[in-house]
Amino acid sequence: MKTITFKILVGLIILTFVLSACAAPAAEVTTTAPTEPPVVETAEPVVEPTTAPVEPPTIEPTAAPVEAPKPTGKITLWGWSYDAMQSTSLVDDFQKEYPDVELEFVKYSSSDTYQNLQLAVSAGTGAPDVVQIENSRLAQFVDLDGLLDITEWVQPYVPLMNAYKWVDAVKDGKYYAMPWDSGPVVLYYRRDVFKAAELSDNPDDVSAMVATWDKYLETCTTIKEKTGKNCFAFSRANNDARLYEITLWQQGLGYYDKDGKITVDSPENVATLEKLGKFWDPMVVSEEQPWTDPWYAELNSPDNSVASIVEASWMGIFLKTWIAGGTAGMWGVAEMPAFAEGQVRASNDGGSTLAISSQSQNPEAAWAFIEYMLGRENSQLRMFAYTDFLPSLESTYDDALFYEPDTFFGSENTRQIYLKVAKEIPTAYIYGPNYQLMNGYVATAIQEFATGQSSAADALKAAADRIRAETGMP
Amino acid sequence: MKKNSLDNREEYYDQRAKKGLGHEIAKARWPYFFISPFYILFLIFGAFPLVFSFILSFTTWKGTGPLIFNNFGNYKLILTDKVFWQSMLNGAILFFMYVPFQTLLASVLAVMLNSKRVKGFRFFRTIIFMPYISNMVAAGFVFQLLFGSRNGLFNSILGIFSISPIPWLDSMWGARVALCALIIWAWLGYNMVIILAGLQTISSELTEAAMIDGANSVQAFFLITIPLLRPVILFCVITSTIGSFNLFGELMSLFHATGGTGPLNAVITPLLAVFGQAFHNFKLGYASSQAYVYFLLIFVVALLQLRFFNKEVD
Repeated sequence: MKTITFKILVGLIILTFVLSACAAPAAEVTTTAPTEPPVVETAEPVVEPTTAPVEPPTIEPTAAPVEAPKPTGKITLWGWSYDAMQSTSLVDDFQKEYPDVELEFVKYSSSDTYQNLQLAVSAGTGAPDVVQIENSRLAQFVDLDGLLDITEWVQPYVPLMNAYKWVDAVKDGKYYAMPWDSGPVVLYYRRDVFKAAELSDNPDDVSAMVATWDKYLETCTTIKEKTGKNCFAFSRANNDARLYEITLWQQGLGYYDKDGKITVDSPENVATLEKLGKFWDPMVVSEEQPWTDPWYAELNSPDNSVASIVEASWMGIFLKTWIAGGTAGMWGVAEMPAFAEGQVRASNDGGSTLAISSQSQNPEAAWAFIEYMLGRENSQLRMFAYTDFLPSLESTYDDALFYEPDTFFGSENTRQIYLKVAKEIPTAYIYGPNYQLMNGYVATAIQEFATGQSSAADALKAAADRIRAETGMP
Repeated sequence: MKKNSLDNREEYYDQRAKKGLGHEIAKARWPYFFISPFYILFLIFGAFPLVFSFILSFTTWKGTGPLIFNNFGNYKLILTDKVFWQSMLNGAILFFMYVPFQTLLASVLAVMLNSKRVKGFRFFRTIIFMPYISNMVAAGFVFQLLFGSRNGLFNSILGIFSISPIPWLDSMWGARVALCALIIWAWLGYNMVIILAGLQTISSELTEAAMIDGANSVQAFFLITIPLLRPVILFCVITSTIGSFNLFGELMSLFHATGGTGPLNAVITPLLAVFGQAFHNFKLGYASSQAYVYFLLIFVVALLQLRFFNKEVD
């Protein structure tokens, strides 16, 4: 009798231990570093404060038909990129237009933002008014019913933004977020490394050299032979699937198709992975994991760097400031490789939106802020000049800023390349309500393939089966 | 006669008390009131999650909305969940990799520091305990620098002796070794202090008597000290067992780029698997069922350990 009571007691203690430990949020997780504010460009780009062609639809549809009073009160904002608004004095200008709106910025890293938002939505209290959400996570939070339906407010902007940015923001014909920036993928390359390998460092020549992934591999091999340097960072055992996703996206492929059918193990996806696998045999890439200190070091190193990185335009501000601030003038920007000759040389990685939480007590003020920052050309262009966050707002694209040279990139006119890419990004089904789950299983599949434990087809088949079982998608 | 009636009355009260828990509580309502903060907190943070996650484990709940039951669907899904079983296996592997070594080392250190012959034992005790109270995030970064595959300190030292670099954090077993090093560094002092406390209750006369009878100090350690320390060591082993299945902060700091899973899920623990399903994938129903399966398995392991260690005492 006594031992049974004791056993039950031990069981209860362990169970409480296990469950309470599960509930504890990852308080000490530090992930991607925040955008830090150092001044980037000395030459202030000419930004014409053009009057927005779109009538700012700040008017609340039901309340006042003629002249709505300006919103007042306090709003709380969660996210990690508000520095783009603060360092460009956009926040000050917003306050001049809306003096009665009080802003409280809470700077969380992206993972802390999502963690806290999930808990606040589940708890039914504690969510902020405005929250920054990447497109990769947006559909998940829409699905969680955590965001406010802002269809009536964003409707005028739907034709003005990059079409693919709306895919994750819509559910059942209703809109839940406003696009901020797009993530056009380009090839950032080190001019010094290309020169050391006796290759041209001219952006057009480099673009021709890396016209396809096969040609890129040849270029990488040349660089490795001539200089001993690695071409880019592409981990095997710790692969995070981001480059694979970029390569799928440029072909309009994804983890599922437009009917919601899982395509993780389709022949096209397998062929894509096999093509990327060639960079490991022979090894022409480095194995550093993205967003770790050794990875920053090899981007920033003056004499011991990697040759290139395939990444979205938002990488620009990171390279210029906290990752590789010491390498000004050593970088160039070229077009990314196409999967095969003549195919699309454009893809997307990441990109953010702003959304209003369904718990917001002051959605009018929250929308006034979002509209001011993301819906107006002047605001978007000022942020773009500072950060390389390419506006999703297409009406900015004929501004003079797009013809400004960028000294960090050897006075190259990088923004024209971003723009060219942004216009060609195909629609692909990678992000979505189950992106986290799919990315996890696919990353493991890539690791298994990369370390020789499994063929690409078998690894992706196993991942696809698991994804089907857990999501119930066909 | 009077005494007898008093006895009867006491018996009567005893019987009444036995009739229901309510009477018992009513009788001792003030003591219960004074310890009520424990019950209130336990009900909110212990009992409620316990019951609620049991219910959730039969649903597809994502964090909001109605509970949609899918019968035993979640439990069926666990049967074929490679990541979950890998995480259970990892817990077992890590247990065998570090718990015996750590417990032995902690015992030896405790015995050494318990002896009056060691000068400055307070100093060493503090030094060995220090890592336990240090920040795990900082420790994780330091261990990344030590075990870095390209520029890490250990591989640089190996390079001096012309040994090719070991891919510590880029291979499954390398990652596990690095993790065990971090765990032992962080937890050795804690276990040592527990065992040291146990040692203080053992009279030194016992070992002295054994020495007089001709035992050497190694024999005295294994035949006198260790058996007497059995309950304390049992405590250390069981908490370390649960600890190795429950690793979280260590993983998040040392393997933060992969969200704590490590290369090819080499170090993912059941706790991290449950956390991932709940807080990355928002599959709270599935995560709850994983938590219950995990609980049942670790409960059985803890019972086996109790039996194994206590069989002679019983």
